[in-house]
Amino acid sequence: MIERPAAEREPGSYRDPSGFVFRRDGHLYRQINARIADDWSLFTYSGLHAALVEKGLLIPDEPAELGLAPEPGAVAIIRPEEIGFISYPYEWSFSQLKDAALLTLQAQAVAAEHGMTLRDASAYNVQFRHGRPILIDTLSFERARPDEPWKPYRQFCEHFLAPLALMAHRDGRLGLLLRDFIDGVPLDLASKLLPRGTRWSPGLAAHVHLHSRAQRRHAASADPAPKAASMSETRRRALLDHLQRTVEGLHLPAQGTQWADYADQTSYSAAGTASKEAIVGRMLRAASGERAWDVGANTGRYSAIAAAAGYEVVAVDGDWAAVERHYLALRAAGEPRIMPLLADIADPSPAIGWANRERASLLERTNADVVVALALVHHLAIGRNVPLPMVSELLAQLAPKLIVEWVPKEDPMVGRLLAAREDVFPDYSVDGFRSAFGRHFEIVEEAPIDDSLRVLFRMAAAGITASGARTPSGPPFASAGDAASRKLRS
Amino acid sequence: MRLLLAYIDPGAGSLVIQAIIATVVSIPFFFRNAIRSTIAKFRRSPQPVDKKGLTPPDPE
Repeated sequence: MIERPAAEREPGSYRDPSGFVFRRDGHLYRQINARIADDWSLFTYSGLHAALVEKGLLIPDEPAELGLAPEPGAVAIIRPEEIGFISYPYEWSFSQLKDAALLTLQAQAVAAEHGMTLRDASAYNVQFRHGRPILIDTLSFERARPDEPWKPYRQFCEHFLAPLALMAHRDGRLGLLLRDFIDGVPLDLASKLLPRGTRWSPGLAAHVHLHSRAQRRHAASADPAPKAASMSETRRRALLDHLQRTVEGLHLPAQGTQWADYADQTSYSAAGTASKEAIVGRMLRAASGERAWDVGANTGRYSAIAAAAGYEVVAVDGDWAAVERHYLALRAAGEPRIMPLLADIADPSPAIGWANRERASLLERTNADVVVALALVHHLAIGRNVPLPMVSELLAQLAPKLIVEWVPKEDPMVGRLLAAREDVFPDYSVDGFRSAFGRHFEIVEEAPIDDSLRVLFRMAAAGITASGARTPSGPPFASAGDAASRKLRS
Repeated sequence: MRLLLAYIDPGAGSLVIQAIIATVVSIPFFFRNAIRSTIAKFRRSPQPVDKKGLTPPDPE
């Protein structure tokens, strides 16, 4: 047999001794270790594996050759379907996290029907695929034992319930706490931050406030398995039912979901909007590619145009309310090609966790062929004081092709930005823009938007050959797939 | 089992409170299910018409 390429273990896949995820020859695999051989065979023979995949709750996989195992002790190797773009819970809006929580409970219910149970309930085990959440950790299931408590209870509360409750009852931005607490929001913190009134909501009183108090009281207890911990089947089902009702009962306050029509708050006339849409659509088709990132996507007007042009789209916006609204609209429409993502491009998600390698930074996860940056540059250059060459550099790092809108100082929206600050932006001119972006891109075409002072540019990274291949100095384009799988906490 | 507990680390407090909450919520859970299954039983049976031509009372 020819020598196999080296296997590279995924940096985020180290916590579970039952197996791990690795990459070999560009493909993603999961090794299943002998210590859970019984659970693994029950998972298959009970029909749970097939049932979960059939219901769209678990990522499909196919068996792979055992010889691919990079480490001893493997009883099976599987090759799961890869998720195109990996996102993390702190990049999800309220409803995305809520849907992920409900998916986890649904998977638990199906597992229970097959005599099995989830053994963890990490939010990182959920990814979005075709617009819907799906479990990606095939090793999360084990045989249910009679009278055993639901082990992932605490994790479920910390990863899902606490941040959801904080978003619903305090502020939609509090989901970002998950960025600081990779193991979920500590319940004592959630209990402190939640409004006092939530003590009267039975679900939150029980699963957050009392839960936190119980943790504190028993923190010093040396006995890890108190007698009371044994639980009948009915009680376990009742607990899960109650958790589900609690999650389902969480909603964002009305003012959080009735944002004024963002997308319509533009300075465009109807003719200007129509012209911009037509040009963007044409440029997207001309750019050609499979994946687009719409940066500053707002509620997704142009993400939809990119999807219609055949792209898989990551729609990035820093406003949680816009991302929430976008997600709800996509979910209602059943649109599978757009993934709304909460991230501020001026402060993208950092790499976090063990050795800063467990969860990749947003920029490491770029998989875009084209980045769409409409009505964005002036926000960065004037709103955030980022020099134009740095804006260009960042966009070049995201994708080799760019569709960007130039908004001149004379534009009313820029006027609004400048109204409250000193104009210290002498280079903010179309010539300054051309020269700044010329450092990283070549302008392929430009088109003025009708009835407006704005201009759309289509650019390609300098150094891209006619075939679209990248020069070695370019961003880590080839590693997009690697980063894309950096997810699995197993 | 011990290894798995260490892996998940449910915490003693979480185990205790989970058992207590489960006990409390199992009471309404039990009754809800009982009511639901009663309703389902009536729904499933074909609406029998008695001699007076009346359908059985609605099970609420």
